[in-house]
Amino acid sequence: MTAQMFFISFFGIAAVWFGIVVFRTFSMVRSALALLFSQTALGAMFLSMQAEFLGVLQIMMMATEMSIMAIFMVMFMMDPGGLGEMDMTHQKRLSLGAGIVSFVAAVAIAVFVDWGPAASSAPDAAQQTVDLGLELLGRSMLIFETAGITILTAMIAATAVAIQPVKRSNEHEH
Amino acid sequence: MSIELLLALITGAALFGVGVYGALSQTNLVMIMMGVELILAGAMVNLVAFWRYLHPDNPAGQMFVLIIMTVMAIEMAVGFGVAIARFRAKGSVEMEEATELKG
Amino acid sequence: MTTVLVLLLLALGTYLVAVIEDWTCRGHFRLSAPLTAGIALLGRESIVPRKPDRIFFEVGPVLLLISAVLAATVIPLTPDLIITDLATGALFINAALVYVLVALLMAGWGPDGAYAMVGGWRFLGQLIAYAMLIVMPITAVAMRAESLLTTQIVVSQSGLWNILYQPVGFVLFFVASMALAFLPPFDLPTAKGELAGGVEAEYSGARLAVFRLGRLTLIITLAAATVVFYLGGWQGPWLPPWAWSAIKILVVTAVMLTAGRYMPRIRETDLLGWCWMFGIPLALFNIFLVGVLVLVFP
Repeated sequence: MTAQMFFISFFGIAAVWFGIVVFRTFSMVRSALALLFSQTALGAMFLSMQAEFLGVLQIMMMATEMSIMAIFMVMFMMDPGGLGEMDMTHQKRLSLGAGIVSFVAAVAIAVFVDWGPAASSAPDAAQQTVDLGLELLGRSMLIFETAGITILTAMIAATAVAIQPVKRSNEHEH
Repeated sequence: MSIELLLALITGAALFGVGVYGALSQTNLVMIMMGVELILAGAMVNLVAFWRYLHPDNPAGQMFVLIIMTVMAIEMAVGFGVAIARFRAKGSVEMEEATELKG
Repeated sequence: MTTVLVLLLLALGTYLVAVIEDWTCRGHFRLSAPLTAGIALLGRESIVPRKPDRIFFEVGPVLLLISAVLAATVIPLTPDLIITDLATGALFINAALVYVLVALLMAGWGPDGAYAMVGGWRFLGQLIAYAMLIVMPITAVAMRAESLLTTQIVVSQSGLWNILYQPVGFVLFFVASMALAFLPPFDLPTAKGELAGGVEAEYSGARLAVFRLGRLTLIITLAAATVVFYLGGWQGPWLPPWAWSAIKILVVTAVMLTAGRYMPRIRETDLLGWCWMFGIPLALFNIFLVGVLVLVFP
């Protein structure tokens, strides 16, 4: 058992465990932060798979994202502190079945497909960053720019949906 | 094939399964979004593992992960936009109450 | 060996920051003040409030300290005195410092107190204001160095320090790092006057000591990052590299602690508005300008 295998399985188990905690806790802030630590464990897993840039980026982005998730949970849930232990689930059996079936199917594919020989080494981290930058602004530029435009559109659309509609009748009073 | 690849793929599959369970079983829009995030995270693990163990010389694999991160951010932005609008209109984001979507 | 040395230096630096803070804040220069204050805090009872979220309550201060120390691991004090020279060092500093937010959210939510919770969520709003102003100036710095290695960033400034090459970026980064360390006038999460200490309000005794230690470490880490990114790191004439690093870091710390002392606390809405309406366009302009400069004077 190599060090890489150990770290991949350790962080993998941590990620899955925190992922399960997300749906098992009653406190909504705990739930959001459990998702954050699941994602952080994934970032550490990327680091142990020698994808340094992606790992650091994952660890950085998810902290902000999941903290914002936490405040929305507190805003929109009926019992954010989880002191009432309210059950917030439905169709439990169906979803548990669907989850297990999809897990088993994905594992079966992973086991039975012949992936071919595995590469023994990856380029070092500095080289990877250079390659990724050249890829993003070279061959894949169109895809990358499309992603940028899409996120801008999503930002504008989300803001437009979310802002308070102006009430016309009140205009004279101000 | 290598054991490391298999371990990473099993992690991805487990995250995907947990995410599917969460997205289907939760009644609140924000919790459903957390399930979707887990599904996307599972996809991300698989992509990184494929890049590392099958095509380490091709940076396009890493670019795919960046695209998935973008998709996560977009999902958050649009989801929260919808959640705010719905909360303002109906006073809750419980999906059990969204019966008008049945048509 | 290097790791232990850097951590010892970090501890020493943190102590000096505490001395400087006492000096700039109250006007007394006493070398023993942090020691006695620390012993006094450790001796006091550490109260746990009623119905806390115990995990968050305990983890919050420790996570604050850990994230500050992690960010310090990629900061070079001399060409060799660096714990790990990551190939993505400039990004890693940022990634570690985002967990300051997570720590404050935990410390705010954990103790089940209204003031603490308001302080914690306020810092989330503050992050939305300052986060882009940390990332975008670092982008411009990395563009000039053509590398994310922190040592490479220092070497790239051998001709001209970045504070002169990209002054706009320096100002933005400096202000944003003061907001990150919630120093006055950006001390919204711990506002003494209106929130009675905010996230610190429910902590006492040993836990408060850890919280304060984490905050002081955060300040010196940010000062060191400013030195590495904008003030030429260890470079300077006559003196040896470590001396230049130490002098610059302590001067930046003193300026950070003094600068906001005489300003009124900024309102959350004002901070968000100014950062997004003026800060981000300026940061984008800075990136554009540095791009042109890098192409014209390679």
